[in-house]
Amino acid sequence: MKNNNVSILLISHCYEIVSGLKNLLNQVQPDVNIAISGGIHDEIGTNAFDIKNALESVYTSNGVVILFDLGSALINAELAVEMFGGNKKIIFADAPLVEGAYAAVVESGLGNTVEEVANAAESAKQLQKISD
Amino acid sequence: MVEKDILVRIENGLHARPAAQFIKKIIPFQSKVVFALGSKKINAKSILNLMGVSILEGQTIRVIVEGEDEIKTLECIESFFRGQND
Repeated sequence: MKNNNVSILLISHCYEIVSGLKNLLNQVQPDVNIAISGGIHDEIGTNAFDIKNALESVYTSNGVVILFDLGSALINAELAVEMFGGNKKIIFADAPLVEGAYAAVVESGLGNTVEEVANAAESAKQLQKISD
Repeated sequence: MVEKDILVRIENGLHARPAAQFIKKIIPFQSKVVFALGSKKINAKSILNLMGVSILEGQTIRVIVEGEDEIKTLECIESFFRGQND
C-alpha cells in the first residue's frame, strides 16, 4: 500500500472506462491507492467476485470509497462488500463517476477521512460544468 | 485581508492535475482564499469550486486572502501561478 490515505474503488460495466479513469487519477494524485473492476471476460457487465478481489487489494483500516457507473453495478458491488465481511469502513458514493472520482482522489490525497472523501465525491453532483 | 491580481502562467491553465496540486499546497494555510473571476467569486480551497471554473493560461485573476497567514498564503499562490510548482 502506498500510504495511509483512503483508497478508491472504481466500478464500471466497461473495463476501459475505469482503466482510463484510473490513469487520469494516478496523474492527479499518485499517492492514493486505486482499484478497478470493469466488464466480465471482455464483455460488458460487472462481476461480484471481481469487485470483491479489487476491494481486497486496496482495503486498509482508513477505508474505501466506491464509485460506480450505472445502477446495476451497485447490486454486484453490494454483494461484493457483503462477501468481504462486515464492520468495514466502506462507503458507496452516489456520484458521477469521473467528476466524483476526481474530487475523491484529491480529498483522499489531503489525508481526509473516508466520510469526507465520500462527501466530496457526492458534492460533484452539484457541479455546474458550463458557466452562465 | 490582502488582494492581488495574479497572472496565470501555468502551461495550459489550471486543469485537473495542477488544480489538485494547488489544493494540496494551499490547504495547510489557515487563511481563507477567494478567486474573483469577473463577477464570480469562488472558495479556492474547494476542489469542486476550482473544477467549476476555467482558469486559463494568460488569464489574470483577482486573489483575495484573509487570515493570520495571509501574506505567506498569497506568496505561495503567486509562486504557484508563476508556474513554479516544484
